[in-house]
Order: sequence, then structure tokens, then C-alpha cells
Amino acid sequence: MTVERETSKDDHLSREELLAVLSAGASGEGELYLTIGADGLITAFNGHVDLGTGIRTSLAQIVAEELSAPFEQVQMVLGATSVTPNQGATIASETIQVTATPLRLAAATARHFLLAKAARLHELPVESLIVEDGIIRTATLENWSMTFAELVAGDHVRLTIDPEAPLKPVSDYRIVGASRPRVDIPQKATGRWTYVHDVRVPGMLHGRVVRPPYAGFDHGEHVGASLISIDESSVANVAGLVAVVAIGDFVGVVATREENAALAAKQLKVLWRAAPERPDLNAPEEALRANPSTPRKLADRGNVDLALAGATTAMDRTYVWPYQMHASIGPSCAVADFREEGLTVWSGTQNPFPMRRDLSILLDLPEDRITVERLEAAGCYGRNCADDVTADAALLSRAVNAPVRVQLTREQEHAWEPKGAAQVIDVRGGLDIDGGPSAYDFETRYPSNLAPTLPLILTGKIPAAPDTLQMGDRTAIPPYAYGNLRVTVHDMPPIARASWFRGVSAMPNTFAHESFVDELATAAGVDPIEYRLRYLQDPRAIDLVHAVAERAGWVPHTKPGTLGGEGDLLYGRGFAYAVYVHGKFPGTAAAWAAWVTDVAVNRKTGEIAVTKVICAQDSGLMINPDGVRHQIHGNIIQSTSRVLKEKVDFSTTAVTSKEWGGYSLITFPEVPDIDVLMIPRPDEPPLGVGESASVPSAAAIANAVFDATGIRFRELPLTPERVLAGLNGGGQAETPAQRKRTVWWKFGLPIAGGLAAVAGLLTMGSPWRTAISPIERPDANVYSSVTIERGRLVAAAGACNVCHVGTDGLAFAGGRRFDTPFGAVYATNITPDVENGIGGWSYPAFERAMRQGISRDGHHLYPAHPYTSFAGAEDADLQALYAYMMTQTPVAEKPTETKLKFPFGIRALMAGWNAMFLKAAPFQYNRAEDAEWNRGAYLVETLGHCSACHTERNVLGAEKGGKAFLSGGFADGWEAPALNAHAKSPVSWTKEAFYNYLRSGHARDHGSAAGPMADVVSALAPLPDADIRAMATYLAKGSAPAGAADEVTTAQTVVAASVSAQADAARLAPKGARIFEGACASCHTGTNALSSLALNSNLHSDSPDNLLQAILNGVEAPAILAQTTGRETPEIMSMPSFRDTLDEQQIADLAAYLRARFAPGKASWDGIGDAMRRVGSVVH
Amino acid sequence: MSKAFQLDVNGSQWAVEADPKTPLLYILRNDLALNGPKFGCGLGECGACSILVDGRAVRACTIPLSAVGSRCVTTLEGLGDGDNLHPVQQAFIDAAAAQCGYCLNGMIIATVALLQQNPSPSEADIREALRHNLCRCGTHIEILAAVRGAVELSQADLRNEAARKVARMSGGATETLERPQ
Repeated sequence: MTVERETSKDDHLSREELLAVLSAGASGEGELYLTIGADGLITAFNGHVDLGTGIRTSLAQIVAEELSAPFEQVQMVLGATSVTPNQGATIASETIQVTATPLRLAAATARHFLLAKAARLHELPVESLIVEDGIIRTATLENWSMTFAELVAGDHVRLTIDPEAPLKPVSDYRIVGASRPRVDIPQKATGRWTYVHDVRVPGMLHGRVVRPPYAGFDHGEHVGASLISIDESSVANVAGLVAVVAIGDFVGVVATREENAALAAKQLKVLWRAAPERPDLNAPEEALRANPSTPRKLADRGNVDLALAGATTAMDRTYVWPYQMHASIGPSCAVADFREEGLTVWSGTQNPFPMRRDLSILLDLPEDRITVERLEAAGCYGRNCADDVTADAALLSRAVNAPVRVQLTREQEHAWEPKGAAQVIDVRGGLDIDGGPSAYDFETRYPSNLAPTLPLILTGKIPAAPDTLQMGDRTAIPPYAYGNLRVTVHDMPPIARASWFRGVSAMPNTFAHESFVDELATAAGVDPIEYRLRYLQDPRAIDLVHAVAERAGWVPHTKPGTLGGEGDLLYGRGFAYAVYVHGKFPGTAAAWAAWVTDVAVNRKTGEIAVTKVICAQDSGLMINPDGVRHQIHGNIIQSTSRVLKEKVDFSTTAVTSKEWGGYSLITFPEVPDIDVLMIPRPDEPPLGVGESASVPSAAAIANAVFDATGIRFRELPLTPERVLAGLNGGGQAETPAQRKRTVWWKFGLPIAGGLAAVAGLLTMGSPWRTAISPIERPDANVYSSVTIERGRLVAAAGACNVCHVGTDGLAFAGGRRFDTPFGAVYATNITPDVENGIGGWSYPAFERAMRQGISRDGHHLYPAHPYTSFAGAEDADLQALYAYMMTQTPVAEKPTETKLKFPFGIRALMAGWNAMFLKAAPFQYNRAEDAEWNRGAYLVETLGHCSACHTERNVLGAEKGGKAFLSGGFADGWEAPALNAHAKSPVSWTKEAFYNYLRSGHARDHGSAAGPMADVVSALAPLPDADIRAMATYLAKGSAPAGAADEVTTAQTVVAASVSAQADAARLAPKGARIFEGACASCHTGTNALSSLALNSNLHSDSPDNLLQAILNGVEAPAILAQTTGRETPEIMSMPSFRDTLDEQQIADLAAYLRARFAPGKASWDGIGDAMRRVGSVVH
Repeated sequence: MSKAFQLDVNGSQWAVEADPKTPLLYILRNDLALNGPKFGCGLGECGACSILVDGRAVRACTIPLSAVGSRCVTTLEGLGDGDNLHPVQQAFIDAAAAQCGYCLNGMIIATVALLQQNPSPSEADIREALRHNLCRCGTHIEILAAVRGAVELSQADLRNEAARKVARMSGGATETLERPQ
């Protein structure tokens, strides 16, 4: 059990020997900031939390420094509502800059008290005392010293923070300003750190939530009112299910084990009202302009309109920023324990105190009965789903009266996290007659608010009406001394759910400021840095710009293209600068930052490589310089990722980017080299460094791309397709979301086959057969163990249990559904149960069913039962199979009966069918072939009934003969590829390949068995190697012409072709390329043991069905792998299902890319949508 | 339907009972209380849940319990030797290669697997090996430094091991020499 509970304020203060420092409370005692125990240990409290920035370490440095105590003696407690001060949400890079101030004063207050106490005790003048490493000494008495512990012992003292307490001069600093290793990393590197995901409480249950279909939108009348009904019977079979909970649109499940909670959430049938349509947010400009707004003027100086009218070069520009996401690597998680006396939550929240207020509203519980234990979570850069999931857990815990842990899925975190809002900025300006800026008329639109905690609106506790907040004004004032300046913010409510995201509106605003000034410089024929310096007045900014230009070796230039290129690459260098002004307007300035960045633009592919970033930052006093450097690195890499790659995609009703293929992040090979220059300013106050270095990113990169290509890009992200369109002089069109898409898997399958032909059969053959009398169930003891064993192997070869397995997994119990062109056929119960199975069947009845497809009672079976293959089986095999079946455990359950629609429902028609297609003759051995081949042929053609799937059927559902035999067919929604020379796989199937595939479910040059074939491979497991080799021998002889090009060379050629095709494929299907890279390539690359997709027959087939099957339903690792070990064995990972993760458009994009990349010689697939309907209609 | 399985994790045998389809990640975290591997996506995309199976880095979120069999599973907790850190862990601590640290497990596991296959990888090899391990905080620079540090530490370890071997051999020889006295 890992239960983390902070000691409460009362418990801290109940210690008899203690020095505590508190704030001055309005009435009575204030909040606790610092304690020193009789053991000398110092505990310091801050209401903000560590989001991975290392403030736990930096704050401890500040406290240790001010106390002159050893760093190791200081422990920080962050964001626990039971003890830390309420300092609001951890936002705006203000922990060090703002909330550390009272902490530092608390430490100074304590230090002065301790010195004064020591002086008093020993009658020494306080000025004579010095304190170092937590020990007080005096210069006059060599052997005298006192520790903090000794001074605290025996007394209980509570001090109030003295706002006038003299602070240590910076010149005396030894701990602050020196790099200090982070205190948390050793535990994190060894798995001993407790994240919120790792909290386990006694009696804890596991919960999952089911979210409504309006994913990523949090306002409107339908919010909280879209649930129609829940079918609880859909999860009745889930083991350990404790509850299904629904309140308004909040739906959750609770189970004893996590995997069962996950299963229940996936399986639960919930009926929702259709989500309302939204404006297209994929190209957000129009939607943002149409969003109702109120203008707010932040600056208006000079005469903008007059200046614009008189400009010699007028420039009206629009900059568009897309919706982006925090994209925390771990989906949010929380544990809640709701009891009569109150609620405790373990949460990764960024806002412990505001969240406690939300929980209080949600649960009608006073805040003082709610304890928030704050634990670290995956990094968050504003507001992710941490608060939502905490509220989810609280609701579920209250419902089941036990502690509940809720883990959101990746899809839920992606879809529902409050996004970084899109933004549209218009700048009107131009040059005056001297080449200076004539005017700067800046308007910005940013639809964001604080994003209400989701369960509050899902349950209807608060109305889902969108608040309009003033969040668009961050860094809206340009840093340049424009004489005629007007800055207007159009305050507006959110469209998609949105909230703070690193840099808030400052990043887009600066994209506009710094792109525009760059454009002015070019128009004026002046070097971009020199031009800026003419209008920059802040001396620290000027110093910074000079410093970074010098560090980068900036070569002044007045036009693009001076760096030239090489082959397809064009080189460019760009500059941008910003001081990040955050908080409510006019705001507070954090650190200054400036970028010089180098790019290489590939004019053939449109790819941009950011090769180098030189970043200078003035952070004032740096508490932990290494920590500051890491923050700058993090900001540069994350913002480069945002600028080049990141954009949330939407359908007309919801967010569709639900995993890392649909929302790409920067990867290691794309990370630029980084050179950081930190300006030493130890005498200036420390500034927030959590966001500043992100702010110049977009303009610096766009300016570098302009320098390389001569083209200005004003909309992000700078994807290859956008860049190519720009290079080709085209617009930057976005595909609009398709309107009113029908859910494709709801379509029925068109009935194939000709009614007329069937009607014709009515006149043929004798439809009626006699029943064979039932018998007592045969005594299992009459069969020898040798016979039963032979029967077991026959059943394995026939893979009987693949089709006849019970719906709950019981062997041979029947009930599995097969969708045929004629309707749904259900497998029968073939256990020896007399009532429901075949226990009452004599051997003649069994043999007739096996060879002729007639049931014991005389009715005809449908040829889904492959009696046409079994007809030729050896008597001894069928007798052994009978014996084996009769010794199985009877299952007294009647599976669903097959009831086909007219005319297929008339079973008697099968008599005519049999007359046409059943050839009841024993299997013919071929004397010209050896015994192994003949054994293989027998297994493949009779018991194994491979042709049942791998041969095309005619309109009446009969296997075609002649050349069609084993030339491929369709079964159960899958294409069963050709097993003969018609195989589409690029490398021919050798005996070895067939053997490996049938034995292990995997062949190096072909891929893995999936769908029904994976079940067949498992079923074949009991067969001896000799039989598998025999089948391989037979199949290989029919497949590859002897002496065909050796498979190693062919495989290499095919893989090489897929590598060459990569760029073309990415150009054809850029989104598909990104989905492949993010969602598929982690497994499907050349660097692991999975085969290259270039060798996979499914990519080379005429139909995309099997590919779609694999994407939609996943591919389970063949169970037989559990019996293998070693590095060279195939992967044991399963391919997950992407049915609930990727939408139809994404799958179509992906399939187009895969085909173009891995089967470059083949025509692209038409009708992916139809294929998806075909495949999706199959019920499993 | 629940079934009993025997697992070999970090050198110990564990008996667990669960549905055969349960992702190994849930078993490691919930039944074995091994918190090193983290849930990141459940789709095998991000690498946060990486573990070593027979020395190869794989994603525990996509491994069904039934597929594990008798293979040897190693998690972040099982990398070191008693109280001694694995050189890759040491290198990540030395380079302060974490911000939030949630991806750290996958980065360390991927590095261990890389160095087993390629003891002296180039910069491009390293970047390629970590390509499908996602980090959102932007700790890539520190992580790359950590991997380079791990290469050095591992090679130093190998040299020390060789030196110890030589010392043992020569020590043995000394003993034989000394014995006649």
C-alpha cells in the first residue's frame, strides 16, 4: 500500500518542542509557512505545486539560504490543503517570483529569532553571532556553538512573519545561485517515487468513466442533459463489477480490479443524444471571427488611423494559431475516499485550493471537510484533466462507499483536456516615408476561460454557460516604441473547452509582434535585429538582444536567401524576442528571452528541420541555474514541437485527435541542438522561468523559414503540406471537417446472392432426410486412451473449437456468430450434452453430419459447417473424433439458433445445394508424391478444411472449384488470402514460412496471424511438428515455383522499395504519415522483431479489408508465444484496437499512406469507406 | 475468466490470478506493486510502460498476461543489483534527466536495451532508439546527455570487470606462486 498523507497543520503545531512561523491572520492565527523541530529538521510549506519544473528543489534552496541551514535539512511540503498556505493556482510562472516571497520572509524571521535567542541565552551581542550550516558561532569564543536543534528544544514558539525582517544580502548567498541536483530524481529513476498514479489505499476499488459524445466541448444546453439510457445488462458478465453510476451526463463504473473496470467502461452500452454541430475549428479563423466578443482597448496612442492612411507601404496581416493541447504523457488519475466525516482526495491537481472549492460545490460538503493530498503527476503546463478526474473519483467513491481510484484513458485525456485555444491576430501597419513603422493596429481574439471542472457541469451542479474571461491580453502590448499604437483585445467565451496552456495568449501575440516587425525590417531594407534595436527601449532587452546576436555570430542581412542551400535544402536563420508579460492586464513581466534559430527547409517534401536554437534569457537572480537551464531547454523543445507539428483536429461535433498519431509531438531525431546563454543578474529579483523561452519560438522559426524560402508563413503549425503549398504558391487550405458523417459501422451488409438461383433449387433433390434415433450418451470408458488422443488431434487439425467455442469461453459449447452473405449463422453446441449438444447422437448420426451436413434429426446444416471438406476424411479419424467429443464435459446450454431470412431460412433448400456441390468421396492420395506431401494434402483438404475460408464461394455460398481452390476468399469479415501461386505477398511462401506461421503464428517475411487465423494457429498447437511440416510441404509446393528468387533478396528489395517510397507516400497522405509515425511506427519499424509492413500480404492485397480489421480490432499476440522464450522469438505484444481511437477519416488517411508506402507498386485502394462498412458490420 | 499464471519478474516467481487478456502492465502495477512502469497510452505508442522481456524493451500495456509464459520480465525496480544502481539509472540521475519524470521509466528501459544491443551507439543511433519514447516536458537534451553518460559508465564497468578478472587471475597466480613458500 502506498498511502501518502501529509501531516496536518494542527498536528504540526501540536508538537511540544517547535519553532513555527505563520502569516498574520485576519482573525487569530494565519497560515503555516515554516517549522523547525527539536531534531533541527526544517519543514517549509508552499501552496503551489511542482509540475516537473523542480520548484521543490529551488524553494528548499531559498529556505536553506535564508536560514543559513544545510540544504539537506530542509524539506518542502507543496500544495496539501491540510497544511500549506492557500496561494491559489500554480500558474503564470509565479512560484519563485511571487509565492516564494513570504516563505523567504518566514525563513528570515526564524533566523533572526534564533540568533536573538542564542544571544540572549549566552549574553552575547547578536551582532557578534554568525550562522553557518545551521550552527551559530561567535568569533570571540572559539569552542562555543549552538545548533538550531538545541535552540528549538524545550520550547514551543509561534512567530508571525515579519514583513520587515532583514533579508540576507545576495552577496552572501552560497546555496541560492548555485546549481543543486533535483531532490526527486534518484527516486524517480528507480521506481520509488510515488506519483498520484501510484497511490494505493486499503480497500481501494478501480473506476473508469464513460464520457458523453460531445468530446472536448463544455458548454451548451445539451451539456449534462444528453444521456438517454444505460443498458446495465451489457456489463453483467464483467467479473467483480461493483457499480454503474450515472448522474446527469456523468457516467462511471467501479470494479474490484482495474482491467475489469476498463472492460466494463468499454462494454457499457450507453445511449446518448447526438452531439450538436460546431463551427469548423480545423481552420479556426472563421469560427473565431464569428464568435461573439467585446472589444477592450489596451492602448491607444498617437493617431493610428491617420498614420495608416499615410503609410507608404501598407501591410495588413493576419496570424492564425491552431488549437493545441497540453498532452500530458500520463493521463490524469486520482484516488478519492469519501466517508461520513469528510473526503480525502489524492490528486495531481495544479490548483489544490481552487479544486477543493469545486469539490465542495460538487458534493455539498464544506471545504474544511475536504483534504487534498497533492502528489506529482505527469507534467502539465496549465490545466489538464487532473481536477476532472479527482472529481470523478470523489463521485464514484461516494456512490460505492469505498476508496476509488480513477484512471482516465489516453483518449479521454486527449479529447477532454482544456485545450490551448486557437487565436487570430490582425495587425494593420506599414512603413512611413523614412522606413519606420507608421502605425501598429493590433487586434487579438482568444476564446478561452478557466474551463470549469468537468463533473460540475456533467452533473448539472453548475450551469454549462461559457464564462468570458480576459485572457487574450498576455503580452499584447508590443515591445517596440511604435508612435501610433492601438491594441484591442476581443474578449470572447470559449468555443472548444480551453484554459491556460504554457505561454497562454502571449505566444500567439508574440508570433504576430515578432513576425510583423521582421516583415517591416525586410520592407525597409534593414537587418531584422538592427531594425528592432531602433525601437527597443528597455535596457535589459537591448543587452539581451546584443548578447544573443553576438553568441550566434549573427551576420546582418537585409533580404532572405543569403545562406543559400544544398540539394533540396534551403537554409535560413531567424530572430525573435519577447518579455513574457503574464497575469491580469497590465500584468507582470517574467524573464526576458530571445532566440536565434537555424532551419533547413526541404523544398521537395516541405519538411522543416530546426537544426539549432541559440537562446539567451535574463531571469534575474537564478535560484538553481541548472534548473533554469533545464526549463529553457524544455521550453525550446516543447514550443518547437508546437510550432512545427501540433494542432488538434475536430469533427463537426468533437475532438478527433485522441492519441499520439492524431496529435504528433516532437521526437528525438527532430530535437534541435540548443545553446543557452543565461545572463547573470544576481542582484536583480528572481523572475519566473517556466514559460518565457517558449514565447519567441513561433516567430523565430517562421522568420528563419522566410530567410530560407522568401515566404512568410502566418498560420501554424508549419506542417510539410502547409510549407509545400506555400512553396508552390498555393493557399494554406485546411480540409474542412466533413459535415454530418454517418457512423459507418452501423450500416448493414448488402445481401449478396441471387434469389432466382435459389428459387431454382426448389425443384432439385429430395429435401427430406430421416432422423436417426437418439441414443443414451455413450460411456466415455469404452474408448481407449489411444483413440481419444487421436480424436483430440483430429479436433485440433479441424480447429473445431475455433467455431464451436462457447460465448463464455467453454469448449465446444457453441453460440459464436458468423455473418454470411445469407445472414447470421450460429455455431451449435457439440458437447456430449444430450439435450443441447450431441450426447444423444450415435456414430452414424455424427458421421452423417460430418460427411453430408445432415443433423441427427434430419434437418440440413448450412455449409458454414465445412462438411464438404470433412466428407473425404478417413473413417478412423472421424471415429476417433467421435470418441474424443463424447469424452468432453457436457454443457447444458442452448446457443442461439440460426434463423436465416427467407428464402435462406428454408433449410430444405440445402438438399438441392448438396446435390450440386457436395462430392462425397474419400480423399484421393497422390502416388506421385511422397508420404509427407500426402499427409499434408489430407490435413489441408479434409480435416483442416483450409478451403472453407481460402477459396472463393459462388453466389450460393459453395466453394468454387478448379483454379479457385485455395486462391483466396473472404470469411468472417476477413480476407483469407490465396495459399497458392495467386498469393499477393511479395515474398513467396516457402515451406519454412508456412511451418513458422502455422506453428508460431508468425512468419518473418509475411507477418502475424490475426483474426480467425490466429485462433486456428492456437487450435493447431496440439498437432505434432510432423503434421505441421506436412501441411507446410504440401502448401509450399502449390505456392512457390521451385527455385524462385531467394526470399532474403526479395524481402530486402521489397523493404528497400518501402523506404524509397516514404517521401512520396508522405506527400500523398501527410496526415496518414503522421498517424503512422505516432501510432504505428513504435512497433512497425525496422528496429524491432516485427516484420516490416512492406512484407505483409495485407498491404499488397487488392482489398484493404484485413488491414482495416487489424486497425479496428487489433491483433492478439498468438497464445502459443507463451511457450517460447529468447530474444529471437517474435514479439509478444498484441496490436491494440483503434476502433474507439481513430475515426473514419483518420483510418482512411492512414490506409492511403500505408498502401503508398509499403506497396508502392500497387494501385491505391478505392472505397476505403465501403470496406470499413463491410468490415465494421461483422459482429464479433 | 480468471486463470492462474506464474510469472518471472525481477528474478522472483510470482503467482497471479487474472483474466488472460489483462495487460501485463496492470498486473505489474496492481498485483506486484511495481510502480516503475507507467500507464501512458495503452496503445503501445509512448513507451512510458516499457519493461524488458528476455532483455528486449517492450510495452507492457499491449502484452496480454497469457503471452508472457516463462519469459523473464525486468522492470525499472529490477535493473539495479541490490542497493547498487544500474549504470543507466546512475547516468540519468547524474544528468538530471527528468522534469516531471513520468517518461523516465521508458527512457531508462529503452537505453538499457539499446546498450545491450549496441554498446557504443552513435548520436544518431541513440536518437533513433528513443524515437518512439515520448517526452512532453522537453527533457530530450538531458536525456541524450544521460544516454551518452550511460555509454561511458557501462564501458567503464566493462573495463573494471575485465580488470577484476585479470586481477583475479593474476591474484590466483600469486597464490600459486606464494604457496611453495
